[in-house]
Amino acid sequence: MNIALIAASLILTSAAVGGGLPRQAVGAAQRAARPASSARTGEQVFATNCARCHQPPMSLSPRITGTVMMHMRVRARLSGEDERLLLKYLAP
Amino acid sequence: MDLRERRIAGRWLLTIVLTCVIVHQVDAQDSADSGNNAGHAPVIQGGAGYVHNVSGGAPTLEPQIDPVLLIAFGRHFLLESRTDFTGFFQRQDQTSGPFTGKVFKTVEYAQIDWLANTHATVVGGRYLLPFGLYNERLEPIWIRNLQDSPLTASVGTRTTGAGDGLMVRGVALQRPAISAQYSVYGSAHSGINQFDSARTAGMDASVFLPGKRLEVGSSWQRFLENRHITSGAFYLSWQPPSTGLDVKAEQDISYFGHGYWIEAAYRESRMSLPQFARSLQPVVRMQQFFPSNGGGNGLPRVRTERFDFGVNYYLRDNLRLLSSYGRSFESQRNLNIWNLGLTYRFTIPLWFGGKE
Repeated sequence: MNIALIAASLILTSAAVGGGLPRQAVGAAQRAARPASSARTGEQVFATNCARCHQPPMSLSPRITGTVMMHMRVRARLSGEDERLLLKYLAP
Repeated sequence: MDLRERRIAGRWLLTIVLTCVIVHQVDAQDSADSGNNAGHAPVIQGGAGYVHNVSGGAPTLEPQIDPVLLIAFGRHFLLESRTDFTGFFQRQDQTSGPFTGKVFKTVEYAQIDWLANTHATVVGGRYLLPFGLYNERLEPIWIRNLQDSPLTASVGTRTTGAGDGLMVRGVALQRPAISAQYSVYGSAHSGINQFDSARTAGMDASVFLPGKRLEVGSSWQRFLENRHITSGAFYLSWQPPSTGLDVKAEQDISYFGHGYWIEAAYRESRMSLPQFARSLQPVVRMQQFFPSNGGGNGLPRVRTERFDFGVNYYLRDNLRLLSSYGRSFESQRNLNIWNLGLTYRFTIPLWFGGKE
């Protein structure tokens, strides 16, 4: 059961660290929930692509946005243009 | 920890620190002309959770943590790796006695991505096999709506869910109203500890309609070990605009049988509703599997039908409580399956550089 305690400690530690991240993209998910216009924007790319697999994140530190978007570009098979639009939207 | 292990740990720590320094310098050089405020600091992100499962009256305790390491080298190269630590603790004689078990460690993927151009990314190393919806996209504990994998999850993902070799993936076509994605891969046989894989070749292709938020796709794989086997999948993912509905479905076909699953989840997002209503997410899943040639190889050996119903509650966007009930109908017996637990998604910058 020590392993379970260690795992629980890790979860709580992660919660404490993660909760302290800057929230400059707060509300991104709510903004993305608006109906998309015909022009492709970062907001539209965010709204249509993130929810294909998971609940969109409410916040992301600008410090790591570039790295995370590279990861999502590979995982979600996004184009380079999609990545640029998302970066501009999430870390303007 | 003995002296040798300390030396190895020290070398790993030194390597990580040096890598972070190099990445920080490259990031600083590249950031001037990026046109946005995004930094490329190394990250550990992933999911953690704890699930109390009771299947046929036998309880299992499953703590799990899956850290994903991401290190960007400039704008075109990304090192990414996910390791799974899952504990399985069961009572000594299934329903009574003290809990015993162990923690399993698995390197799920460790790959280098070269983002060659807007249409293609070249992946080398150990990667998740892109077969169907589940293995590559829905498997993480914080993403999956129901904690138990679909009955057909092992179709097209033998033997470990990962391949060792090369993959090319990306966007073949992109227009405002439609885009087409592809993955093509080849994997070698490997018996290296934590890097086990089978000799396989395969591909996945999908078409996405952003206006309708509808994606349809198909996967194909040729398993090239002792017995050559072809597997296929057809899948659909649909999030109707202006609703909180999320529908996913997949049909899988292999030498060992065929089956399907269809899952629907609903999460209300209208701000006019109370927070409690917006935090709830009911989920239902129906699935059937029909074995052939004896089934097995990760698949049921008898005809199986299963229905699951669950309710997730989001305490925050990255922290949720989960509960589900499932009923499995097999030709030899029927089972009740209960799951209770929580999942958490974390993101931890590893370097305090980059832009703020």
